[in-house]
Amino acid sequence: MQSKSSKNVTKDPANMTEYYKHLSLFWTDIIHLMSSKPQALTSIGPMRAFAANSKKIAVELIEINENLVGFNQYMTEYYKQLSETWRGSQKKVNQKAPKIPQDAEQIEAVKRIWIDIFDNDFTELFDSKKFGENYGNLVSKELELTKHWNNITNVILQSVNLPSKEEVDEVYKEIHTLKKRVSKLELKLKKEKRKNVN
Amino acid sequence: MLTESNIDPKIIEEILKFSKNVIDAPKLVSAPDEINLEVTPHEVVQEIDKTRLLHYKPLVETKYQTPLLISYALINRYHILDIHPQKSWVRNLLEQGFEVYMLDWGTPTSMDKYLDFDDYVNGYLDTSVEYIKNQLSIEQISLQGYCTGATIATAYTALHPENVKNYIATAPVIDGWKDTTVISNLAKHMDADKMVDTIGNMPPEFMYYCFSVLKPFEQGIEKYVKFFKNIDDKKYVDNFLRVEKWLGDTPPIPGELFKQWIKDIYQKNLLIQNKMYVGEELIDLKKIDMPMFTQVAVGDHLVSPECSMPLHYAVGSEDKTLKIYPTGHVGMIASSLSQKKVLPEMGRWLSERS
Repeated sequence: MQSKSSKNVTKDPANMTEYYKHLSLFWTDIIHLMSSKPQALTSIGPMRAFAANSKKIAVELIEINENLVGFNQYMTEYYKQLSETWRGSQKKVNQKAPKIPQDAEQIEAVKRIWIDIFDNDFTELFDSKKFGENYGNLVSKELELTKHWNNITNVILQSVNLPSKEEVDEVYKEIHTLKKRVSKLELKLKKEKRKNVN
Repeated sequence: MLTESNIDPKIIEEILKFSKNVIDAPKLVSAPDEINLEVTPHEVVQEIDKTRLLHYKPLVETKYQTPLLISYALINRYHILDIHPQKSWVRNLLEQGFEVYMLDWGTPTSMDKYLDFDDYVNGYLDTSVEYIKNQLSIEQISLQGYCTGATIATAYTALHPENVKNYIATAPVIDGWKDTTVISNLAKHMDADKMVDTIGNMPPEFMYYCFSVLKPFEQGIEKYVKFFKNIDDKKYVDNFLRVEKWLGDTPPIPGELFKQWIKDIYQKNLLIQNKMYVGEELIDLKKIDMPMFTQVAVGDHLVSPECSMPLHYAVGSEDKTLKIYPTGHVGMIASSLSQKKVLPEMGRWLSERS
């Protein structure tokens, strides 16, 4: 059986790229199919799945390491921002209350100054764009790490014939859609009934 | 440097007293877990999924025909509106002669991650309104929304104005771009899609983080020092533990609802621009044309007045009142100020229209 692209190439040389694409796809697929047979034979069935799963987990672990670099970078910046603000606030407190408090009233007054300055400075930090952006990136990296962990868990779940997170989510979504449809119908019916009574 | 001879004896006295208070604390006060936050008697009249519609038992003869339904916030539970007999929002309204219902959103689980604004507005809230209408054979109710519950109530009122006789918005989250709080800064920089896709519901831990950045030293340290210092003051301790217990009970927020919340309100600011959709319906704030009462607090560090007040100017109502109180987000609903000023003013306004 002759494929469409191989037919066209003889008539129209402009389709040369298409022809080579087809040629490459053909041999890639054929070699893959041919090679999988002896591999299946030697891997004795389930062990092949184990090998494939190990590969998937290894890939996830490599990506986790890549993400950890980014995560650490934002985490360092997060603590840097906190410690710089702390240092600045402490300086302000020292300027405002340079003497060591001598009695209970003075301790109370210094404590009040300390809390007010620290709360103001930290609120200013948390309200700033630089904090918001860095915190957003930090959380985002944390979520990427969680995603890789989820992927690893999914591989393990599937290896023991349990549904993956995506499959469970599909069920949840289906249930949600059905419940929503039913409750909307029920509500509509109630409203209609009430209308008819009135 | 302080030497032994010039240490103020009062300091030693205070340290010793404080240490004694810490040791005595477990003997004097209940553990938060032992405190019952359900203060005012009520019955659960309707349950749908995890939500419950509560009907409070009248404390005096009901004076007004139109009942009030309260749509509480999505953050923490409704108990703050009935936190203590002397500071209870609900009890005060009952004593004024109103019939009060409360919608408790419950505690969503992973299974509820697909619940969205449409489910809350056109599902749970609408079903509750219909229930009350049917039970009392009335055509309209009064609706009050608090905080994020007011955003849901605002959307509901705009979509179903025929059901709402009076609308009260208490610290509503409306104009996300004008919100000057730390929470809005975090929300604006958050990848809500990634969060929901990865972990499903918005986890309570994230909310605890948000709480921790609000006045971290006053709220995180000084508050507890004061608690132990005042351990003999029964009234103070009781109130403190109740509020603490309420603060620690933060249910997750359903993923889809949270996503729409962050994106449409804080990031794209669609609600105030009349561009937000709930389900397939566009919310037009001009459709809110019934009497409206807006309450905001100057010291609100969760929803700034700049975020709430635009609602007052955006609605179509001709009969509308805006009240600004010198207190904070919780102070407006659960304090002596709320009992002495906020609630009597709201009650007067509502009684004239109920």
